[in-house]
Amino acid sequence: MITQEKYRTTVKELLANGSIKMAIGYRPGSTSDRRRPLFIRTSEEADQLVLDSTCITNLSGYLVTEGLLSDEKRVGIFLRPEGIRSINILAAEYQLNVDQIIIFGFDFTGREVRALQGQTTGDFSALLSEIRENPPLATKEPLLERIEKMNAKERFDFWQQEFSRCIKCYACRQACPMCYCRRCIVDSNQPQWVNTSSHTLGNFEWNVVRAFHLSGRCVQCGNCDRACPVNIPLRLINQRMAKEVVDGFDHFAGLSPTQEPVLASFKKDDTETFIL
Amino acid sequence: MSEPFEPKIVAFVCTYCTYAGADLAGTSRLKYAPNVRIVRLPCTGRISPMFILKALQKGADGVLVSGCHPGDCHFTHGNYHARRRWMVFRALLDFTGISPERVIFSWISAAEGSKFADLINSVTEDIRKLGPFDQYQQLIKETESPATL
Repeated sequence: MITQEKYRTTVKELLANGSIKMAIGYRPGSTSDRRRPLFIRTSEEADQLVLDSTCITNLSGYLVTEGLLSDEKRVGIFLRPEGIRSINILAAEYQLNVDQIIIFGFDFTGREVRALQGQTTGDFSALLSEIRENPPLATKEPLLERIEKMNAKERFDFWQQEFSRCIKCYACRQACPMCYCRRCIVDSNQPQWVNTSSHTLGNFEWNVVRAFHLSGRCVQCGNCDRACPVNIPLRLINQRMAKEVVDGFDHFAGLSPTQEPVLASFKKDDTETFIL
Repeated sequence: MSEPFEPKIVAFVCTYCTYAGADLAGTSRLKYAPNVRIVRLPCTGRISPMFILKALQKGADGVLVSGCHPGDCHFTHGNYHARRRWMVFRALLDFTGISPERVIFSWISAAEGSKFADLINSVTEDIRKLGPFDQYQQLIKETESPATL
């Protein structure tokens, strides 16, 4: 509550003195445990701002909305540590300029919300390196370990069963802050890479490609997982890929706005044990 | 009456090294398994993982991806980028249940005609032992749009 009040005042101040043109935060949703994004432009709107332990959505995707940052004015945004990592990745991929972003950092343990000190991505670099060293406990998934123990056929059956539920609504893509392509590979029909019907074959390919495009970029905010209407454990694949990238290339995504994207860079001595 | 299983293998190769290597294998009259369908691309860096998935989607039992040795790329570093991408993609296929033995990566230079012929032979044998990719082909059949390679 204190943090919420404090941030309401800060947002009002920054709006009043013109440092930011808008702040992106949370407001109450349709039920008590749901939150909607709130786009604050006036101090009255700032009064609707809510900040508690149900504010889990990563809002950073709204920053790449077409035209939002093109006037070079600054925008404030409420972010948890994952969100700050997303901002760094977007900046590293030249999708936004970090100087235009004012971060209102927050995080929570249990129901206790606390503010994170800092305003620009650079202020949080110590925090992010600490997350790299000690990833939160929630990232240890029993299901992931179960899949690791399966053989190829069992894994295929497992994912086939999961993906057979997919209805190709692409909510995972819409919810993901990293999926900003103007034309997604599944929207292309010449050639048609992925079958458009919601058959398991096309679903399989869509989900594999989605995970591939997110490898080395996903910050495990869980937006895709929560957006999925049929509860496919999308985050598991991303988590596995993130581990692969850390083990293989020592790349922890989103540490700084100048970090080179892992699949757009290389080292001459990258491992190649699998290449004949 | 069922015919013995002949694996269908799609090879994505770069034009400067492996395709030239395959050409050398041909001009040297080396005999190798006829199960491979070669697709020539400008560079291994051009090989999108979508190509590999599309080949499987159209009924391939195995995919071979091959290009210049590191350091030999015509575009200086296309194959370095490709190498990173493959490593991640291979892990992803493994995690989703597509056996890594079905997707093979290799470096073959323009001078390695015999390596090309040997590799095609050994890959064909390996995939013959693995058998057809039944699980995937079942899915393809269900879509009622099976395409022949």
